[in-house]
Amino acid sequence: MQDEESLMRRAQRRDPEAFTQLYEAYFDKIYRYITIRIGNEMEAEDMTQQVFLKALRSIPSFRWRGISPSAWLFRIAHNQVVDYLRRKAKRVTVPIDKLPPSVSDDNPQLMAEQRQDIEQIALASQQLTQAQREVISLRFAGELSVAEVSKVMGRSQGAVKALQHSAIVALRRVLSVTEP
Amino acid sequence: MKTSKRFDNILNECLERLLGGETIEQCLQSYPEQAVELEPLLRTALAAKQASTIQPRAEFKVRARYQFQSALQEMESKRGRRFFGWQSAWATAVTVILILLLLGGGTVAAAGNSMPDEALYPVKLATEQVRLTLTPSALGRAQLYARLADKRVVEIAYMASKGDPQRVEMVAQRLDTHLARIATLAAAQREKARVMLAPPPAVERAGEDAKVLAPTPAPERAREAPESLPADSRAKLRVLVMDYAKNHPERLRAVLKSAPESVKPALRRAIRASEAGYERALKSIEDTENNRSPRD
Repeated sequence: MQDEESLMRRAQRRDPEAFTQLYEAYFDKIYRYITIRIGNEMEAEDMTQQVFLKALRSIPSFRWRGISPSAWLFRIAHNQVVDYLRRKAKRVTVPIDKLPPSVSDDNPQLMAEQRQDIEQIALASQQLTQAQREVISLRFAGELSVAEVSKVMGRSQGAVKALQHSAIVALRRVLSVTEP
Repeated sequence: MKTSKRFDNILNECLERLLGGETIEQCLQSYPEQAVELEPLLRTALAAKQASTIQPRAEFKVRARYQFQSALQEMESKRGRRFFGWQSAWATAVTVILILLLLGGGTVAAAGNSMPDEALYPVKLATEQVRLTLTPSALGRAQLYARLADKRVVEIAYMASKGDPQRVEMVAQRLDTHLARIATLAAAQREKARVMLAPPPAVERAGEDAKVLAPTPAPERAREAPESLPADSRAKLRVLVMDYAKNHPERLRAVLKSAPESVKPALRRAIRASEAGYERALKSIEDTENNRSPRD
């Protein structure tokens, strides 16, 4: 991708091409991050769309203060996730294994395996603290660097590294217990 | 403490290298003293990384890209119209009314029941636009959008029965837009109430979080007229939307049972869009009634 700062400036001037570049560069990553955070693909689809629509509306107020476009977008996604989890706590939801299968999937076996992977990682990550889950999702699903994660989470890079360490230790403990 | 910090750095460096394509063994060779502790963590991280490489469904990506591009285009056209603002909206309404008058009252009445595959359908859509433009209050427009959503559901059912997936898709997109508008208009009410009730902020909220909460698009707010009985209107809107939120997905699911196979994927998408759209709309209305922002 071209220089991120100039891309954001073009997007702020409502250049559709710049918006589209941002969208294409981050869409899959944002979707993965949300799916891992909430463990529900259908909700994740809806929320991913909302992230980009919200970004479109709020880009005029974006200020370049060393925050990269990716950190900015993931912060919007983070807010969506927080809002969703808060609402979810107030109502009963359908667990991932009770969801209807996705329609018109070309490869049902692959989809089933993918669903299993999502379920496993989502279940395992439920045993982690919110902050640990956040760092794992941002690092592995969102593919953000430690520096970018620190911007999204508002923590120092040292704190993110420590959190990353404790999250992997916790994840290992959970996965080794659940493995046959 | 220092040792732990050093290990955090080593772990992070190895993770970066793994993500860059190196193997676990290559990392361990660089840090033989930490290898015993590092190896299981790197294997767990690699497993987590592999499990996280989920790909969005192709059809979802197509739909999402379409919606994003539509929003982008809408933003562009609004920007172009902003110079004229209200005058432009009224000028459009007057133009459409003149055309409708030329077509004659009978034509307009007949268009009211037309379906998407019929010649008078564009007249029906134009008439709806005029009604929206001439409805001054945000809650009034939200109610109108809810009633239009009801019409869209009838049209989806009709096009599904005729085995026309393209038109089912097209009308479903309109339904989705109507429901999004209800949520936006309810949010506009909430913002308005906040502005009226809240004292001017002494300090700007720190951080980008505040900026992420995008205000409702200016054109919707600018058009807003005072509500005579806002609480009553809100309650009416909530009852209407709650009724449709239950009724519309049910009706579409009933259609799905007897629909031709060719339209079933489009119908399922319409059902999902209506469920999600109504959930958002209801959430926005409830938030407005409780006078709270979505993140409160």
